[in-house]
Amino acid sequence: MAREHEDLQADVVIVGSGVAGALIAHQMSMAGKSVIMLEAGPRRPRWQIVENFRNAPDKMDFQAPYPSTEYAPHPQFSPDNGYLIQKGEQAYDAQYLRVVGGTTWHWAASTWRYLPQDFELKSRYGVGRDWPISYDDLEHYYQWAEEELGVWGPSDEELGSPRSKPYPMAPLPLSYNESTVKTRLNDNGFYVVTEPVARNSRPYDQRPTCCGNNNCMPICPIGAMYNGIFHVEKAEKAGARLIPEAVVYRVEAGEGGRITAVHYKDPQGNDYRVEGRYFVLAANGIETPKLMQISTSDAFPDGIGNSSGMVGRNLMDHPGTGISFLASEPLWPGRGPQEMTSVVGWRDGDFRSEYAGKKLHQSNVSRVDQMADQILSADGLLTGPALDERIRDRASRYVQFDCFHELLPHPENRIRPSATHRDALGIPKPEFHYAIDDYVRKSAVHTREAYGRIAELMGGTEISYSDDFANNQHICGTVIMGDDPSTAVVDGDCRCFDHDNLFLATSGTMPTVGTVNCTLTVAALALRISDTLKREV
Amino acid sequence: MTQHVYRHGLLMIMPLALLAGSATALGADQDQLERGAYIARTADCTACHTTDEDKPFAGGLAMPTPMGDIYSTNITPDPDTGIGGYSLEEFTRVLREGVARDGHRLYPAMPYTAYTKMPDEDIQALYTWFQEGVEPVHQENRESDIPWPLNMRWPLAVWNWAFVDTGAYEPRDDKSDEWNRGAYLVQGPTHCGTCHTPRGLAMQEKASDDTGKGFLSGADLGGWHAFNITSDHNSGIGGWSDDEVFSYLKTGAAHGKGQAAGPMGEAVEHSLRYMSDEDIRAIVTYLRDVPAVNDGDEMPRYGHEGQGSDASRLRGQDSSDGQHTGENATDGAALYLGNCATCHQADGSGSPDGYYPSLVHNSVVGTSHSDNLTQVILNGVHRANNDGEIFMPAFRDQLSDEQISALASYVQTQFGDPDAKGVDVGRVKEIRDDTP
Repeated sequence: MAREHEDLQADVVIVGSGVAGALIAHQMSMAGKSVIMLEAGPRRPRWQIVENFRNAPDKMDFQAPYPSTEYAPHPQFSPDNGYLIQKGEQAYDAQYLRVVGGTTWHWAASTWRYLPQDFELKSRYGVGRDWPISYDDLEHYYQWAEEELGVWGPSDEELGSPRSKPYPMAPLPLSYNESTVKTRLNDNGFYVVTEPVARNSRPYDQRPTCCGNNNCMPICPIGAMYNGIFHVEKAEKAGARLIPEAVVYRVEAGEGGRITAVHYKDPQGNDYRVEGRYFVLAANGIETPKLMQISTSDAFPDGIGNSSGMVGRNLMDHPGTGISFLASEPLWPGRGPQEMTSVVGWRDGDFRSEYAGKKLHQSNVSRVDQMADQILSADGLLTGPALDERIRDRASRYVQFDCFHELLPHPENRIRPSATHRDALGIPKPEFHYAIDDYVRKSAVHTREAYGRIAELMGGTEISYSDDFANNQHICGTVIMGDDPSTAVVDGDCRCFDHDNLFLATSGTMPTVGTVNCTLTVAALALRISDTLKREV
Repeated sequence: MTQHVYRHGLLMIMPLALLAGSATALGADQDQLERGAYIARTADCTACHTTDEDKPFAGGLAMPTPMGDIYSTNITPDPDTGIGGYSLEEFTRVLREGVARDGHRLYPAMPYTAYTKMPDEDIQALYTWFQEGVEPVHQENRESDIPWPLNMRWPLAVWNWAFVDTGAYEPRDDKSDEWNRGAYLVQGPTHCGTCHTPRGLAMQEKASDDTGKGFLSGADLGGWHAFNITSDHNSGIGGWSDDEVFSYLKTGAAHGKGQAAGPMGEAVEHSLRYMSDEDIRAIVTYLRDVPAVNDGDEMPRYGHEGQGSDASRLRGQDSSDGQHTGENATDGAALYLGNCATCHQADGSGSPDGYYPSLVHNSVVGTSHSDNLTQVILNGVHRANNDGEIFMPAFRDQLSDEQISALASYVQTQFGDPDAKGVDVGRVKEIRDDTP
């Protein structure tokens, strides 16, 4: 039986404390509204995450510094904790966090705006869907989000997304690695630009300047890179109440479909009921549709917001392929942040009617420990100066590119609650049915050719391609936005068609995945939701 | 060379402009305005009189006193709420005697006890600039929170009679021009003694110049310790080179000695960094000659060698081990490595360029006056210098009082004095409560 608590009610109840939920909590608290934020995971101090990272044996396992909890598990891969149930031909092995502040604890901080064309994929190219809103509807919110998060971006390069104001900050200088490769590629017909990122190039918003620790993923040790935790803290200072370790497992609807409460369990399994006037689900593109689908009732037998049957469907991501090689000259990746440039010449074009748009990006991750591992595995007898020299040579010449291909929304790609696998609190685990479409596969053939040309231009040897369509954690489409209640879950304001007072603040609302990281768009949509809420609450 | 600056100042402020007819509408020439602006920088008027960057000099800063808060006043040329109606004589009386136009006496939070040393020509230039170079802002002054009868101000006349040595600086013939210029700047406009000279029972500075006992020998004020900056080798700054003192004043940092934060950081940001190299050198020359006051220190604050890194001891720990990395952990070494070592390095050596200061050979770490260290951890550092911004984030929202106490104590003993008594958790709480 749910415990009733008089204090468990607020004007706005937000499920999830990542960047989207925290931005809304901050805005609504500043507007004088009472706010409760419910976060399934625990609060983790930055310094503790930093020490976890330093103590972790595998530095490239970005989940490792954030131990999963029994009561609010999130995916762990070394070893696999079995939280994600894979049923499709392609595993959807998303790396997200259930922790106060959300997954932007370990993101790349890339804060691209989508292109105006990304909002009109169907009408321009006859594939995918159109958004019910345009780029122009979002431009003001993009700018606002860039100022909230603290974004640096180039002022002298055309990125294809028109701006009303300059970026809040100028970029740090490119690393030698990236400036050398960028120049070489741009001299040979590629279009490489400096990437906009939510990372400080000067003291901004009480956070320090990036000093190039080169472990943005899995943790910026000094908070120079933006994390959602900053807006959680701002929201709390403005009066919002955060309840961590509150695992929401049911959304309750009343008269006329209005949402009346959400129910959560604490780690001991005790039940609580939280009432509100307005509700925001901001629990990412997987946990949000899972929660909606398990919230069944007589009035809503398929779950909350699901009269269209689209909740959990149209699952998208950016299936990635890659290349690595040794350049003919030392480039010394590892100075500065992990990634500062992107190849953007194939984000848009008439080819999008035939195959996927994409963005390629060069890694600037230090490869010293990876190369040392490889060398020692190959020749365990190598020691002393010879070993050092070998590591130095290979780590300095290592080049890696990866990419994002735009997957189209297909209803059969979906996440649903597992009927057989439950977590420690008895809540179903997420189950995936996922496949890579020919739209991406065809594009990947072209990408491989581009990779080959890059290797050629850099004098590459020991070339290795990775064609595994790696997951890039940009979880889109699962609570899809549209004009038509019979084919979409939310309208252009991210409001559920079935529930007037329920908003979804997640990349799951995005009808196309585009070719770039989705977080800035999520943040812009969240700020747009806050404007709607300020008018209504 | 500098003595002529105010002796010949007469030449500068002789209203040549008026005579030559090349004046602005109100009669001030550009040189005089620039001179007045420079003096205002030197005297750091903005430190107390600007609370809103969009309304420079409109006042309103709360300054706590044992009797209640008092508030800085509007010194823009607004005729109703500022000093627009002041004549030069009335303005001079404020700076020299601490008496306002309407006859009420200022609390000596206004350092007229130092400004009194300004020569007439400097006061006139300052007057001209405040009347013509500052935008008027209409903003009413705020009454002090001091209750009756303590708010009666006539006893200040007695206080002034007892403690204030009214009148312009008199150059000493036995010292160089540079020395005299430095003495004037230190005793007068830059009012170093306001913070650095200990105060007596009546809150008066115990000495107003180098002839008085204890001048610039260090004091606690507003939750910070203003260090002994006399010429004593161990307790003062006698062991610093001229270039180090110069660098500290001009940029806020002297590698291997100390960095400015808090009120001193503000003094660098708003005042000292704008001063000419000649004036800074004059200050250095004078400070060198301020009589040494030894507090019994056996070595300088920056002299400690440090104990190296504890990183290896803590590597390979199970990451779920609550003792070292749990949310409430109070292992100073673990707190240091997780919160500080990324920039200051595990062994406390900082970055080679000094942007992240070494904690070894650092005055703030090596002193037994631990308030400054606590302040910096709690509230961070944000100081502009002529090359950009110096920034350290605040940790008040990241760490508890117990954790800050453990961390500061670790920093003291690991990188400063191994026998330091540590930082009391109660004092951390007091400083936290007293700062925003």
